[in-house]
Amino acid sequence: MAPPASAVRAAPAPGAEAPPSSAMAAALRGRAARAWRALLLLPAVRSAGGAAPGAAGTPPQPPQQRPGGGTAGSGPRQVPSEKSESFASMLRRSPLIQMGPAKDKIAIGQIFHVVDDDLYIDFGGKFHCVCKRPEVDGKKYQRGTRVRLRLLDLELTSRFLGAASDTTLLEADAVLLGLAESKQAKQKE
Amino acid sequence: MPVRWHLAAPVQSRLVPAKSGSVCSSLSADDDKLLTEPLSHPDFFSVKELFTLKDLFDARVHLGHKKGCRHRFMEPYIFGCRLDQDIIDLDQTMQHLQLALNFTAHVAYRGGIILFVSRRRQFCHLVESTARACGEYAHTRYWQGGLLTNAHILFGPGVRLPDLLIFLSTLNNVFEPHVAIRDAAKMNIPTVGVVDTNCNPCLISYPVPGNDDSPAAMELYCKLFRMTIIRAKDKRRQSEAVEELQRKAEGN
Repeated sequence: MAPPASAVRAAPAPGAEAPPSSAMAAALRGRAARAWRALLLLPAVRSAGGAAPGAAGTPPQPPQQRPGGGTAGSGPRQVPSEKSESFASMLRRSPLIQMGPAKDKIAIGQIFHVVDDDLYIDFGGKFHCVCKRPEVDGKKYQRGTRVRLRLLDLELTSRFLGAASDTTLLEADAVLLGLAESKQAKQKE
Repeated sequence: MPVRWHLAAPVQSRLVPAKSGSVCSSLSADDDKLLTEPLSHPDFFSVKELFTLKDLFDARVHLGHKKGCRHRFMEPYIFGCRLDQDIIDLDQTMQHLQLALNFTAHVAYRGGIILFVSRRRQFCHLVESTARACGEYAHTRYWQGGLLTNAHILFGPGVRLPDLLIFLSTLNNVFEPHVAIRDAAKMNIPTVGVVDTNCNPCLISYPVPGNDDSPAAMELYCKLFRMTIIRAKDKRRQSEAVEELQRKAEGN
């Protein structure tokens, strides 16, 4: 079930269906680089659209992006005049909530652990995901590398027959798309 | 088979009577004042300034498990359910965390033994290093049956049991409540525990509803407990030093 047009922020995954109208397709492609959800509060410099670096709550992108969705700002939006935001307000504006269902959303993650060919990637959700090292540019995936993911599920759980509650794998599910775009490519925009 | 507590270096100025667990065995008037003065303040150790709502939010403390994993008794602490994922109410978490940290500080101030317990392999090193950093103890391995309830047989007579158990995750490896919760309740040992949406908060004296699966959240809890315990111990040392000086002044 496709999300409504105004809420679509994810770049269409390769091989996915083309978006319904050509105008929207052009808009989507244009926003593709900025459309990745930055759920992760990373201290690294994020140069897309001149966002200020910061570990927590960088200010939102100027005008055209709506708060929380598709912006390169990480963390909840900060209104400079308010010193203490309520929990409900912080939650409502957080990227995780603004994103909606996790299915087929593009996100940026950071590899925090490597075991041979398994990459443990944290994208800002409750759990991390584990992906296989791809054949293309395999050596570039080390601890601290930023990668693009297509999220499938935030937590892998299932209710088995005869069980009182769900069994959880304590892991999220995502498909590794590749390395995150370099800063130079972002600065060109 | 002897069981090794993961011992850290004990703090020097600690009232440790050999046999009994209580710290009030031999008190003078000064000690009495030292021990009763903190009890008259609601937040003697200013634990409220150690963390803010934003810190909790950024550390992903509000994220819970999926709806199907929810424990019935965690429902009062849950803010809501978003696309099947439970969200923990951070306003309640703030209050519970303040109570828990305040209690931990008081126990540490009175020279109590604190034992950190967690059965999560991902965070076992973090928990152990936290315990070492604040001069307390940790147990992050398999919990043998009678560690608390059968201690005088396992360890010999005259062993002193912990005065507080801090659970950084209340579940064991098979998603059942940790045995130490029940055993601590049996032995009248108060417990502080971080309870996620799939945990049972029942027997825990100071439950703290919050995420126990993300590294960010666990690091925050460890940092808060460590700072609280160190702050309380420093305050104790300061108060004792002041008492000492006053006594010397009066003596002269």
